[in-house]
Amino acid sequence: MIPSAPTGGWPARLAIARRDLVEFVRDRRALFITLVMPMAMYPLLALSSTLGIRTAILELDRRQEAEQLVLAFSGEDAEAFGIRIGSLASRSAGRPADWPDTIAMRIFDADEALAIIDEGVADAWIAIPRGSIARLDGEGTLPLEVRLSTVRPPDRRVKEHVLTVLRGVADEVRLARLQRAGLPASLIEPLRIDFTGDRPAASGSAVREILPTAIAAVLVLLALLTATGAFYPAIDAIAGEKERGTIETLLIAPCSAFDIVAGKFLAVFAVTLATLVANAVSIALTTTVLGRFLPAGMVGGLPLGDALACAAVTLVAYVGLAAVAAALCLTVTAASKSAKEAQNTLTPVVMLIAALAGSALLPGSEGHRWLPAVPFAGQVAVARSMLSTLHERADAPSKAAADALPTPVGLGAGLAISVASSAAFTWLLLLVTASLVSNEEILFRGPDTAIRGFRRPPPRSRPTPGQGLAVVLMGFAALWYAQGLAPEEFVPALLIQQAVAVLLPLLAIAWWQRVDARDAFALRRPADSPLGTTAACAGGVLVGVGIFFAGAAAALAFWQDEISPEARRFAGQIVELVCGGPAWRAVLILAVMPAVCEELLFRGWVLSAFTGDHPSRRRAVIAVVAQAAAFAAFHLLPERMPQTFLMGLALGGMTLATRSILPAIVAHAAHNATPVLLVARSAAADLEAADGMGAAGLPPWAVMAAIGCLIAGGGLLAASRRGSPEKASWT
Amino acid sequence: MIEVHELAKEYRTGGRAVRAVDGVSFAVGDGEMVGLLGGNGAGKTTTMRILATLLRPTSGTARVAGRDVRDDPIGVRRHLGYVSTTTGVPDRLTPREVLDSFARLHGLDRSAIAARIGGLAESLDLGAFLDRPCGRLSSGQRQRVSLGRALVHDPPVLVLDEPTSALDVLGSRDLFGLLAGLQADGRTILVSTHRLHEIEHRCDRFLVIDAGRIVAEGSRETLVAGRPGGLEEAFFATIGRGDAP
Repeated sequence: MIPSAPTGGWPARLAIARRDLVEFVRDRRALFITLVMPMAMYPLLALSSTLGIRTAILELDRRQEAEQLVLAFSGEDAEAFGIRIGSLASRSAGRPADWPDTIAMRIFDADEALAIIDEGVADAWIAIPRGSIARLDGEGTLPLEVRLSTVRPPDRRVKEHVLTVLRGVADEVRLARLQRAGLPASLIEPLRIDFTGDRPAASGSAVREILPTAIAAVLVLLALLTATGAFYPAIDAIAGEKERGTIETLLIAPCSAFDIVAGKFLAVFAVTLATLVANAVSIALTTTVLGRFLPAGMVGGLPLGDALACAAVTLVAYVGLAAVAAALCLTVTAASKSAKEAQNTLTPVVMLIAALAGSALLPGSEGHRWLPAVPFAGQVAVARSMLSTLHERADAPSKAAADALPTPVGLGAGLAISVASSAAFTWLLLLVTASLVSNEEILFRGPDTAIRGFRRPPPRSRPTPGQGLAVVLMGFAALWYAQGLAPEEFVPALLIQQAVAVLLPLLAIAWWQRVDARDAFALRRPADSPLGTTAACAGGVLVGVGIFFAGAAAALAFWQDEISPEARRFAGQIVELVCGGPAWRAVLILAVMPAVCEELLFRGWVLSAFTGDHPSRRRAVIAVVAQAAAFAAFHLLPERMPQTFLMGLALGGMTLATRSILPAIVAHAAHNATPVLLVARSAAADLEAADGMGAAGLPPWAVMAAIGCLIAGGGLLAASRRGSPEKASWT
Repeated sequence: MIEVHELAKEYRTGGRAVRAVDGVSFAVGDGEMVGLLGGNGAGKTTTMRILATLLRPTSGTARVAGRDVRDDPIGVRRHLGYVSTTTGVPDRLTPREVLDSFARLHGLDRSAIAARIGGLAESLDLGAFLDRPCGRLSSGQRQRVSLGRALVHDPPVLVLDEPTSALDVLGSRDLFGLLAGLQADGRTILVSTHRLHEIEHRCDRFLVIDAGRIVAEGSRETLVAGRPGGLEEAFFATIGRGDAP
């Protein structure tokens, strides 16, 4: 009775998704944490923060709206001095700018005034002793001591207002003295400045200051909580199945590992989407409730149509975020033996997601063209950009000003990039997960590695994928700290970064894991004969040079003048290094050292971690793509990422084809040495000419030469392997 | 039927290669029930996992119902029912849901699924707990569900890896009763166990595996060859532990 219908594909994926969803829904604790907790969390957060927000807004508005200055006077001439201020205050014209809206004046004896100030009843106390008015009406200078209240909330505007009032009195006295001397008033007023067109501060304008920050914080929180929605179902879906011993029965179903992973992804994705919806509903309801407690304008500042458009864009972007989060959590848990191990591994992943989402709020990141392509940061950036633009549009003083803001079409491009990037990342992660889930070593290896404690594991041939990624993550963290701790000088900073971010984590983990250095780092000759090895190295040089010119041509054509300040500064530092010393020193620092360190890490460690002990063609493809993506991300600058990614692909393929890291090191060194040698050969005038070439791009002959180098290099590499008994073979 | 020829599987542990299965060859004919006997680490589970396409052989060939495990793993899975050492039954699903989901994975349509679950509930006596979560079932009941899951697509070949390890004597007897019925239906069955007494009179033939190699093969009568201790004594003698207490 074996069914003749084909198995696998969507029916199998949906069957697995349905099975996993039913299992998840019956786990009440996970259901509560994933779906119900967010519904309770936003009201709690809102309640705890509402009072503070309300106080802050009211205080800001109080400062920006009507302001009252309370002055206490003492002394025998206090009343006459107060009358002069009152007379000035009653005039509508001729008063200094920034005059306080109202001034309350009280007269006390000295002891009372001191008490009043200490109690915070008045903003300032001024003693006006006998003879003060006579001195003002004469020609002397009246020294005044103003004591500010230390009890009232600190406000620098109080001091400014007191100064404004006293300057007003001084101006009156000055004019009277000029009149008595028969001099014109213009003598002391060479300029008269009147401001026009300044919008009066509206009630609730403080809201405009707080709103963008509040929206950004909520968007990051929404990203993080949506991603955590994938946490428990992902653990349950793969690591949990391994722990319960049910994964074996699933893996013998008549479908591919990708079908199984895709089915599990659909279930985890559905729960993550439900978490997103629960969070969104909770945010909407909480915002509605908050509207009753917060000052007008804080909530509901957008027309309904705009608000719905914002919600739609945010949801679409966050659906992509939910997909990447679900796939990422599955990938991580697929490499874990037990639920506990998966939980331990997922915790830093959630921190990474939080860091990425938060990075969308970094100064200068807003408006970057390719930011929407970065997972977790991109979705926050898209939603934030949409909300900010619509708020600015709603607040724009005129239609022309509103039209000058980015259009929804422009914002749609960011959304499209974000969705496409999410789909690509999700697909890639699912491929990696499918490779991991059927990995014999991960599936049937011994007990949870956590129980080994701090004993070094037994020797092994190659690192696991987890260990491969661990070094990259450690490298990122080290890169971060190195940037803060390294000296400002370019060369020492570069040396420390390579040592701390690449070599140290790599050597530490390689030593701890007792890997076979020959296998893990592909430390072999690329060919058996010296001639073959020479041909492979020559091929590496040509490929490296070709990649440089091809990458430069593509980058110049694509980015044109849109190079970030960081990239310009980096280029300037390189030119300075090359021009400031012998060329060999620059080649050593900029080409040889990074080539050795980074190739050992990416084409050695990470590549061998993903290809594993039993490489197949699919695993080889995944390994090459994974290490190229890590290599590109490691270079941090977005402008360099496409080029470094393609270079990673080429060098990864070269390493797998030759089974040796040597050609990749040579190619990397040649790639980096090419611009160094070009700059070293150029005079300053030539550099200026080259700078002008940026917008026009490389000349066609250079592009043709690059293609020629790549073809010749590839040919030499292929020729070097001819006749070699140990050829790379994939099944 | 099952055909295995010079099958080998090598693992790398502690930096050195270990051959868990080392040149194993055997065949199990249609309608035959064969017992795979061996101690811990002898290579039983590795052999069965290769047959179930969970592991890839390092060398040699293995065919199930004419399909090669390396070239046509999906075809093998469609013709094979596999019961692992663990029962492999999710706690939060009911037996009906377990059978339903695996029937869907095997491409059965809705009416066929209902009929198949009904048939299995009757033949494996699942009716009393068909809608109870598996987490609340006894070990014997869970093993029945596991067997039902392996049979849901009505495969001609069954591979059972220590199916009685979590069962008491009664459960074990019931399970072998069910297997006898399946064999009578013409199914090919390969079953492994540590408990020699419970399998001694159930199988047509036995394969004794030790250190990854088949060290003896034949019917009970051939292996026992008049030894008073029966199959257990013959097993110890075959693997060179005849003087063991």
